[in-house]
Amino acid sequence: MRNPTPPPTLRETVSGAEAPTPSPPVVAERGAPAPPRGVLGLLVREQSILVPLIALVAAFLVGALLIRSQGVNPTYAYKSLFSYALFGGSGLTATLQKMVPLVLCGLAVTIPLRVGLLNIGGQGQFMVGAIGAAAAAYALRSAPGVLTIVVTMVIGVLAGSMWASIAGLLKATRGVHEVISTIMLNSIASGLIDWLLNGPLADREVPYPASHAVADSAQLPPFGFVPIGLPIALVLAVATAWVLRRTTLGFRFETVGRNKHAAAYAGISIRATTVLAMGIAGACAGLSGAIELFEVDPYRYQDGIAGNLGFDGITIALLARGNPLGTIPAALLVAAMRAGAPHLGFDTGLRPEIVDMLLAITLLFVSLPLVARLIFRRHTAKGNELASSWGA
Amino acid sequence: MRSTFIIAAPLCVLAVGLAGCGGTTGSAGSGTTAGADCSSSKVFCVGLVTDGSKIDDKSFNQAAWGGVQKAKDSFDAQVKYIETTDAKDYAANIKQFTDQKFDVIVTVGFLMADPTAAAAAQHPDTKFIGVDQSIDTEKVKSTNLTGLTFPADQAGYAVGYLAGLLTKTHKIGAINGLEIPPVEKYFKGYEAGAQAANPKVKVVGVYHPAGGQPFNDPVWGAGEAKKQLAQGVDIIFGIGSNTGNGALNEVAKTSGAGTTLFCIGVDVDQWGTVPEAHPCLVTSAEKLISDGVGELLSQANNGTMKGGNFIGKTGISSLHDFDSKIPADVKTKVDVVVKKLADGSLQTKVEL
Repeated sequence: MRNPTPPPTLRETVSGAEAPTPSPPVVAERGAPAPPRGVLGLLVREQSILVPLIALVAAFLVGALLIRSQGVNPTYAYKSLFSYALFGGSGLTATLQKMVPLVLCGLAVTIPLRVGLLNIGGQGQFMVGAIGAAAAAYALRSAPGVLTIVVTMVIGVLAGSMWASIAGLLKATRGVHEVISTIMLNSIASGLIDWLLNGPLADREVPYPASHAVADSAQLPPFGFVPIGLPIALVLAVATAWVLRRTTLGFRFETVGRNKHAAAYAGISIRATTVLAMGIAGACAGLSGAIELFEVDPYRYQDGIAGNLGFDGITIALLARGNPLGTIPAALLVAAMRAGAPHLGFDTGLRPEIVDMLLAITLLFVSLPLVARLIFRRHTAKGNELASSWGA
Repeated sequence: MRSTFIIAAPLCVLAVGLAGCGGTTGSAGSGTTAGADCSSSKVFCVGLVTDGSKIDDKSFNQAAWGGVQKAKDSFDAQVKYIETTDAKDYAANIKQFTDQKFDVIVTVGFLMADPTAAAAAQHPDTKFIGVDQSIDTEKVKSTNLTGLTFPADQAGYAVGYLAGLLTKTHKIGAINGLEIPPVEKYFKGYEAGAQAANPKVKVVGVYHPAGGQPFNDPVWGAGEAKKQLAQGVDIIFGIGSNTGNGALNEVAKTSGAGTTLFCIGVDVDQWGTVPEAHPCLVTSAEKLISDGVGELLSQANNGTMKGGNFIGKTGISSLHDFDSKIPADVKTKVDVVVKKLADGSLQTKVEL
């Protein structure tokens, strides 16, 4: 039986001044065994990065078995998938173009997750943002390019934010569970936009339901192989992480997420935080919609612009385990796999569904905190839950 | 330590299981054989890009692929396909084929018209066949792009005529995919044919809302079919690949299928491709897609393929098991209509 190590104390340096205390480590509860040291200690401390990595490796091994069962060499398949997606010129552009909306939609789910809300409405918020931007771009079609872009981005952000705030308000004032309200709002957005695309916003020149194309001066094709939205998305992800950790607003969000009742007692308004969190999430998704409109080839709102992005955002947020900075590598992974899937199909004849299966298996492994708890059960600090709004 | 063991063991098992990984470093099965060098003039490579539906969607894409495979058999072509999963990938998928210098690229579906035209302009040495894409010869001058279109309104008219004669409730319906001209032509032809056969008939139709997967949404199709059946509709025409298949299956499951309720398939003879619909499937409005694609591919092989529009043929498929159940005079009338449509003496007068 080892002696429990004493908790970190103030250490005195040679000059007698206090050294700053280290940031709170993973501490064992009173009476529990000491936090481990060495390699396992490293694993335990860095588990928020390591668990997804191990899950990824395990998922790729399972995927290799699946690919092998189709009669294809797994190493060749993975090489084909990733070399196209990450190193080919057009493949890299495709990957980065897919990455931008994934990061932003991932943020749209991550931010409410920190407050304890589950935002399934990314799809609807994206669509409303995009259609708002399309309408504004058409209204401003004769304005100078830069003005058009700025104004329509703002309008897209506001539209998405407004759409999400509906769910936020319903939750704050009436206690309607945001999962239900956001899913319903997705359907409403879909119907509303279908009417707009066949009616007031329709471009009659084009024989399928589509809005007018954005004016040539306002279109933003990729700069080299970097899409214009990528710096925006990356800056927003980093900014979100910074806000959550270093500002009063972020403190409020995190506190409400960890313990609503303590936060309410401490004077933080739960209602305001709920609405604000949903509003910011909708803003991210709406911005993503507006950027997609300006960045991707037909430059008009038409069938397929939203794809599955809202729901992919949930995948990204879970892969990132609720960490805004984690959305960047998660989005890169998902984007690379999606962009490489056609090349994989071309080279090996594997169906594109294999990529969806790989992602689903990865997500399954990442989302099993039980596995992590089983392995690290003697050492894990309590309070490792992602979302605390279930049934609340 | 036990926890180290728990981490390491499954990974080791998997790694051992994959040791000595075999498998081909080339194409898996499923009909893809192109490994040869397509840029050489001796090798004829044909590629196909689907429009968001699957290659075995039992309808449109499957028929086009069937035409490509006929070419593989008749003049030993190397063939490959790419299934598109995201509408934003159309251009990238076409590029997979042009990068490898394929000789002919078949793009299936109306929604691929713009990316196909753009690719045709960029690659004048590659031939492009656009199935169901109508080329505006004023705007698009590429001679390497041929649009294969079908007079879908004629096929719709013929099945509409049959439906108008068969209906007892004088209400017939259609479940449509996205509201684009190929689908609208089928539906408007259906309406015109039904009105011609039975002036009292009422035709209801519903289009899939834009923004989802309009040709791959069987759940929506089934739901809409249920609604129409509840309104008293007794014959339903499923227009729209897999979405329509959902409607056909729903009618086949309802009681009265085959005696009072019927369903009609689209694009290919769905008797063979959707066996679950046998209880109600009286006929299908066919675009002879495989034949059209096969014909254009042999033209491309000979070097006789011209740009512009190429009109394929349409027809209605045989009545299969319902042949004995449909009255003989109905069959004769429908045969007459089909013949008159084919030789041009009967016009559907459908305008879009």
